[in-house]
Amino acid sequence: MNKTRASILTLALAGALATAPAWAQNVKVAYLVGITGPIAGMAPTMVQSMKFAAEQVNAQGGIGNGGKIDPQVYDSGCNPQLATDAATKAVNVNGVIGMVGPSCSGPVIAVANSVTVPAGVLLITSSGTSPKISTLDDKDLVFRTVASDDYQGRALARTLKARGTDKVAVTYLNNDYGLGLAEAFSDEFKKLGGTVTASRAHEDKKASYRSDLAELAKGGADTLVVFAYGNSSGLTIVRQALENGFFKNFVGADGMRDENMIKTLGAENLKTFLVSAPAGATGAGFEKFSKDFKAAGGDPNGTFAATSYDAAFLMALAIEKAGGDKAKLSQALREVATAPGEPILPGEWTKAKQLIAEGKDIDYKGAAGDHEFDANGDVPGDYILYKVSGNTFAEIERMK
Amino acid sequence: MLEFINFYIIPGIVIGAIYALGAIGITLIFGILRFGHFAHGDLATTGAYLALGVTTLIGLTPWLSLPVAMILTALLAYGIHRLFYRHLEARPKILTVMASLGIGMMLRSVVQVAWGVDPLAYGSGIARAQSFAGLMLRPREIATLALTLALVATLLAFLRYSKWGKAMRAMSDNPDLARLCGVDNDRVTRLTWFIVGALAAASGFCLGINTELTTMMGWSAMLSMFAAAVLGGVGRVEGAVVGGLVIGLAEELSVLLVPSPYKSATAFVILLAILLLRPQGIFKGKVL
Repeated sequence: MNKTRASILTLALAGALATAPAWAQNVKVAYLVGITGPIAGMAPTMVQSMKFAAEQVNAQGGIGNGGKIDPQVYDSGCNPQLATDAATKAVNVNGVIGMVGPSCSGPVIAVANSVTVPAGVLLITSSGTSPKISTLDDKDLVFRTVASDDYQGRALARTLKARGTDKVAVTYLNNDYGLGLAEAFSDEFKKLGGTVTASRAHEDKKASYRSDLAELAKGGADTLVVFAYGNSSGLTIVRQALENGFFKNFVGADGMRDENMIKTLGAENLKTFLVSAPAGATGAGFEKFSKDFKAAGGDPNGTFAATSYDAAFLMALAIEKAGGDKAKLSQALREVATAPGEPILPGEWTKAKQLIAEGKDIDYKGAAGDHEFDANGDVPGDYILYKVSGNTFAEIERMK
Repeated sequence: MLEFINFYIIPGIVIGAIYALGAIGITLIFGILRFGHFAHGDLATTGAYLALGVTTLIGLTPWLSLPVAMILTALLAYGIHRLFYRHLEARPKILTVMASLGIGMMLRSVVQVAWGVDPLAYGSGIARAQSFAGLMLRPREIATLALTLALVATLLAFLRYSKWGKAMRAMSDNPDLARLCGVDNDRVTRLTWFIVGALAAASGFCLGINTELTTMMGWSAMLSMFAAAVLGGVGRVEGAVVGGLVIGLAEELSVLLVPSPYKSATAFVILLAILLLRPQGIFKGKVL
């Protein structure tokens, strides 16, 4: 027993020595992604693009003086419990100094509260969109490269109002996604002088929503705003509302932008159906990322591919800027990501490294946007309003 | 008043009829084979997707493909019994119950592999309701109710008047006594699985044609079906029908009183209340 304890102690000491802040050392970063669970389909591309960022950094001179980024991939399961376990292992056992991820909103909140913020570890999520992440008491350690749903809900409210809709009923799926959107939307819509006649949560996967719809329709609105998923309750709700004539117009957010809706309900029935969705990334940053990532065998248009790349690349830039000092990471992140400064495009690591070494300010213009973080560590979103045209969705206007 | 009937009562009755078809299967297995069959929801899902398969492969209309799907699902149910449950017959019933949970997952996964996880439909487009003196009904809802009525009437007549129906009831009352009187328990079990499979397919199909086909639909509906079976009295077919209608109506009407995320909880509350206050159910079934 004593012998084992001694050897463990020796090992721990050796470990402490090995990870002591010697600046030529490798830097451990956790990539916490929902490899299993509900977003398992998107995870491979997200991991691939994060690793791609690390490869570019390591191929172009690495970190500091001969160090490398050492990416460690963990599974968050898109589940707060699993994510917290994995994050604890990453931070407290393996000693990562920064974390990219976790993937879903619930895990982001759980991991930030119980692991990364207490340990002073910087967290950048590339796919947690809940407005609740903005209001975390995070000591400026939680950032995201994807816009909060708050922006989408408000943009949708402004756009609808500008298009002449004054009275709506809102139904939303009873989870963080639906609730966050519904709160932001209703708040903005009322501020602009619109009327929300009813706002009701609904449960997923029921066979009938007609009584829900009857309650919603009582206020006399002819527009129904649905914050749900178009491959689940959203589809059933729109179908039953159309069949029974409860509402004339339907509006949804990105969860409702599902071509399956058109396939099952028929385009001719969805002429009054509008959805908002984040605009695909454009501009020089995305083009550069797109070209490089395609050459490396990735799909740059994959869901959250660009935001995941940016999160991993920004993490590397911040580590370089902070000189590997965990305590300076979040300040460094703000400096490298926001204007003013020499613009850096995705993959321009050599240039960035040199400028940082010369003590010059840089401004990362990423694949998914400019990433000018606000006080909450959020980035503004860019959304487009779509209508149904033929068997797909066609752009109507960019939303403000 | 008309609005109340159209948007609360009619949907409640339609969904109740669908629950009833599922609950009859559950109650028959409970009564005759004496275990809770947790693969029942997924058996219904499989039946619904088989009907879709028949529609796309052979090109029959959905309603014509239903009988084919019912026969296929009946064979499937019997096959599951032969392959799995039969080997557990002599062991404690809880093993069969647990096995049925696993069978349910297997069925669901096979459906997901074959048809994918996106929702599907028997046909594209929507069906607007026709008005019958103010009552808004869709053809598919009338057909669902008619099908339920026809199946229930046939089943009740079969159980009451035919030789094999009497054998089923005898085995439900007391399997040992039935065997002593010359009832072939194996054949009764086989017959039960055929009937249960066919009814499960019908309930899955009706659920699918009234909404969409999703791979989780049977699993999600099963709680309500179990509640219906227990409410009506375990082993009682007419009880399952009444139970299904009560649960369906209660779920739709609950929206008037509690927030709609509690819709499913309504079935739960009724199930608990029945188990506490009247464990034998409305029609005096077996006490669990």
